[in-house]
Amino acid sequence: MATTKVPEVRDIMRIERIGAHSHIRGLGLDDALEPRQVSQGMVGQLASRRAAGVILEMIKDGQIAGRAVLIAGQPGTGKTAIAMGIAQSLGSDTPFTALAGSEIFSLEMSKTEALSQAFRKAIGVRIKEETEIIEGEVVEIQIDRPATGTGAKVGKLTLKTTEMETIYDLGNKMIESLSKEKVQAGDVITIDKATGKISKLGRSFTRARDYDAMGAQTQFVQCPEGELQKRKEVVHTVSLHEIDVINSRTQGFLALFSGDTGEIKSEVREQINAKVCEWREEGKAEIIPGVLFIDEVHMLDMECFSFLNRALESDLSPVLIMATNRGITRIRGTNYQSPHGIPIDLLDRLLIIATSPYTEKETRQILKIRCEEEDVELSEEAHTVLTRIGMETSLRYAIQLISTAGLVCRKRKGTEVQVDDIKRVYSLFLDEARSSQYMKEYQDSFLFNETQTASMDTS
Amino acid sequence: MDAVSQRVLQYLTEVEEAAEDVLTSKQQIVDLDSKRNRNREALNALKTEIPDSEKVKVCFGNMFIKFPKSKTKEMIEKDQEQLEKEINDVRKGLKAKVNRLNEMQGNPELRGYNLCPLSTDELKALNSILKI
Repeated sequence: MATTKVPEVRDIMRIERIGAHSHIRGLGLDDALEPRQVSQGMVGQLASRRAAGVILEMIKDGQIAGRAVLIAGQPGTGKTAIAMGIAQSLGSDTPFTALAGSEIFSLEMSKTEALSQAFRKAIGVRIKEETEIIEGEVVEIQIDRPATGTGAKVGKLTLKTTEMETIYDLGNKMIESLSKEKVQAGDVITIDKATGKISKLGRSFTRARDYDAMGAQTQFVQCPEGELQKRKEVVHTVSLHEIDVINSRTQGFLALFSGDTGEIKSEVREQINAKVCEWREEGKAEIIPGVLFIDEVHMLDMECFSFLNRALESDLSPVLIMATNRGITRIRGTNYQSPHGIPIDLLDRLLIIATSPYTEKETRQILKIRCEEEDVELSEEAHTVLTRIGMETSLRYAIQLISTAGLVCRKRKGTEVQVDDIKRVYSLFLDEARSSQYMKEYQDSFLFNETQTASMDTS
Repeated sequence: MDAVSQRVLQYLTEVEEAAEDVLTSKQQIVDLDSKRNRNREALNALKTEIPDSEKVKVCFGNMFIKFPKSKTKEMIEKDQEQLEKEINDVRKGLKAKVNRLNEMQGNPELRGYNLCPLSTDELKALNSILKI
């Protein structure tokens, strides 16, 4: 039936980092795009979240394909969290690809190839499949075998829906595929009209009590409603990269073994672009510009940046979101200084969202959310102590302490993490500042030792 | 009745009407399909069960008329074609009606609803990524 809503098929696997940002469920905005103080795992950063919300709406409307956004801020101020929030709120329909800046450096693939694959993973193509099927419950199968044992079999198949019942004459081929699928009376089946393929959906509820000895895998379904000969429409979303891959695979079986790691020829890409554009013009496909998120974008070098510059201008381009925690620094691979380690000409094209350090209250909130996420109960004093640690060292370090303190607490068979547990893990694990402090001292003594032995050797 | 409830009532009536419209179309497709299946059964029966020379009794309304077989076959085939076309038309109309209903109720439009389907060849080429 034309109006049947088909179950959604998720084609594009979402790459999610487990852990650090698993508590983010969205950007935490209300309908008017105003950020709520604490919502969907997000805390504070109101201005940047609002900015991200505006961008999100534009992405949803498909208005800003081929644009780029930079999220810049100090370490531990929620850059990745905002990107994750955008990804979560986009929903399953818009492709979202995440990669870290260093991921593109590999021996098997050139940097630009890795980047173009990432770009094309972030562009979805929506297409529709339409099939005529016959769907019904088998009332009766009657197969006449010729007395001689050989020769064509003939038969009849009676199918019904809740509305009607009809008899089909069966040819030899149909009979074969019916017996191959072990179709019997009471099964609900579909027959693809174009290919004649038969698939069993399950057994009808009305026949549920026919016999008790039934495998666990037997599925019971309702007798289909409506007409027997239905039209089924399925909408798929595939990424351009997936289409690239199957089309470059047909060239040689070698590509099969190396999976996606092989490089895809630019001719293949061009052909596919042409085909997809043709489909779009014929109304056969819709192009959904997705989101490509590049974390630690300062890891990219000059070649990558110039590639990005060019790729953003192509008409099949996703929204590019980048994140960096660098200030004015050298562009990788050159001696030029530039803000965020990104060339000025690329910076010029970006919408820049800044994140600012969390306040004490916000830190407290985030720690609370993480505690819930990691299933650790924290006493009020311990929470205060942890917040202080978070403010004085770093938020990340404080978050690390949650799970470790949780472990210590469980070891002493406590139910709630106390200040003592925090103190214990604080002394066990060093934060970055203390670690560098120790390093300096250690370095000194090490050097001293080295000079000692050296002098002894020479003497 | 004040103006507001008047308006609500009118809105609800419109939605109900649109929904009723959709249901009618659905039922129409069912009826047409059942007729199509009956015709198909008749064609099969004509092909296999009756010798060519014989005349067959055809039921018109509440009257049986003896007709030559070839003529009957021709008639039913024409009828089938007509039915096929009609079902297609109703389906097309049904889409517009469902869209209208969705719009009235403020539901978002179905994704990819207005796309043209890919041809079988094109689908075959994409088969391996669609069927995972």
